[in-house]
Amino acid sequence: MSRRLRLWLLAVGGAGLAAVLAAACLELPGFGGRSHPYGTRAVRASLARHTANTIASVNFDQRAYDTLGEMSILFAAVLGCVVLLRQARDEHRERPRPAQVARPVRRYALLVVPAALVCGLYIVAHGQLSPGGGFQGGVVAATALHLLYLGADYRALERVRPLGAFEATDALSVCAYLVLGLAGVLAGTAFLANTLLPYGTFNTLSSGGFVPLLNAAVGMEVASAVVVLLANFLDQAVEIVEEEAG
Amino acid sequence: MNGWILAATVELGGGGAAALWGVTTGPTARRVVAQNLTTAALCPALLLLAQGYGRPAYVDLALLLALLGPVGTLVFARLLHEDLEGRRPSAWGLTYAVAGVGAAVVIALCAVTGPGRAMVKLLVIGALLIGGNLIASRALSGGFRGVLGG
Amino acid sequence: MSDALILVALLLVAATATAAVAQRDPARQALVLSVLGVFLAVLFTVLQAPDVGLSQLAVGAALTPLLIMLSVRKIRRRRRDRDGAR
Repeated sequence: MSRRLRLWLLAVGGAGLAAVLAAACLELPGFGGRSHPYGTRAVRASLARHTANTIASVNFDQRAYDTLGEMSILFAAVLGCVVLLRQARDEHRERPRPAQVARPVRRYALLVVPAALVCGLYIVAHGQLSPGGGFQGGVVAATALHLLYLGADYRALERVRPLGAFEATDALSVCAYLVLGLAGVLAGTAFLANTLLPYGTFNTLSSGGFVPLLNAAVGMEVASAVVVLLANFLDQAVEIVEEEAG
Repeated sequence: MNGWILAATVELGGGGAAALWGVTTGPTARRVVAQNLTTAALCPALLLLAQGYGRPAYVDLALLLALLGPVGTLVFARLLHEDLEGRRPSAWGLTYAVAGVGAAVVIALCAVTGPGRAMVKLLVIGALLIGGNLIASRALSGGFRGVLGG
Repeated sequence: MSDALILVALLLVAATATAAVAQRDPARQALVLSVLGVFLAVLFTVLQAPDVGLSQLAVGAALTPLLIMLSVRKIRRRRRDRDGAR
């Protein structure tokens, strides 16, 4: 294909895309308008299932299947990172040197680790009531653990982080999501249909059917995935060194 | 539109523009200080927005920023400490001024909220924000001098 | 008047994102990126999407800087080892 032809092809494709986008923009409802056809229906459905946070209802009830896809994307991405960043044959590990961190920083880290873990759990558990959910809370909890590296050294973090257990938890929580979905099939409804559990009292921790359970599964998956991901990055940055070729 | 949102707009515009200027110009040492002060300047704005919209649930955003913002600064302080060696970046006057603004916002919101669980949450956010910022500033000005390679 | 707030947040995000692209050094880019994350979270809050804002804060405040800075450290260490071996 000649250069000129390629440019023509690009121009035609670009013009088509621009035309379609312009047509779509002209049909958009006005910014901040009063009429939201999809929003009204989503809110009605989430109120019927006693879920106070409509976003949680959309993510884990009305479109739980999409969330399963997002979850497997994260799982596959972390798996890819683990394969890419593993210790190769021409690399070896060096013990990281212990670090001396100023005392106030170390104390702050030790104080904030439990606070951040509790905060992460709070965000996961209140996913169906207020903004937040499994993803946000899981990331917070996993980040909190790495304050041990920042406030002390890598060996302190390694001591409280059994990597094998986190890898197993990662896989198990993806399975838990699938099993929760299959339970609906076994009960005679549909995959990931929120019909098995009672919907509970509106605006309490146990409301929303199986939304809190799916939130917990996603929270565990995200937390352990982030820990495994950061562990591989930290290994490469701190421990693994290339051997000299000859 | 109310006074709270107006205050949040002023805080966001002033603090945000200053943070952007600080983090995109000058030596690395100054940029790290600006990154640290961004947390301190924008967390009160998030609290003011939560109050202005009348949505107590939005306070969670400020909680998360107060918790994780200083952690982000610690990341830079630890992994850039070779670049910062001998510079001891600090701007204590500015740090205390921004911490004072944060404390003022938290106290004002506590006065409006009245005693209860919401007030405890606000106080926790205030303590995390101010404590975290002072510690992160301390870490920037030489908290990781004993770290070699690790 | 709440349009003014949206305008301020949008302008800050646009300016910071441009600045992040214009930086040359990855470490400095990471610094601008972490500030951009906070501005984005404020923008999402102003547009009444606190769930997205929380995700942005959780990822952008500490996790992304940590990943980028660890990669920068690995590359710098490798370069130093090579230079030292010569």
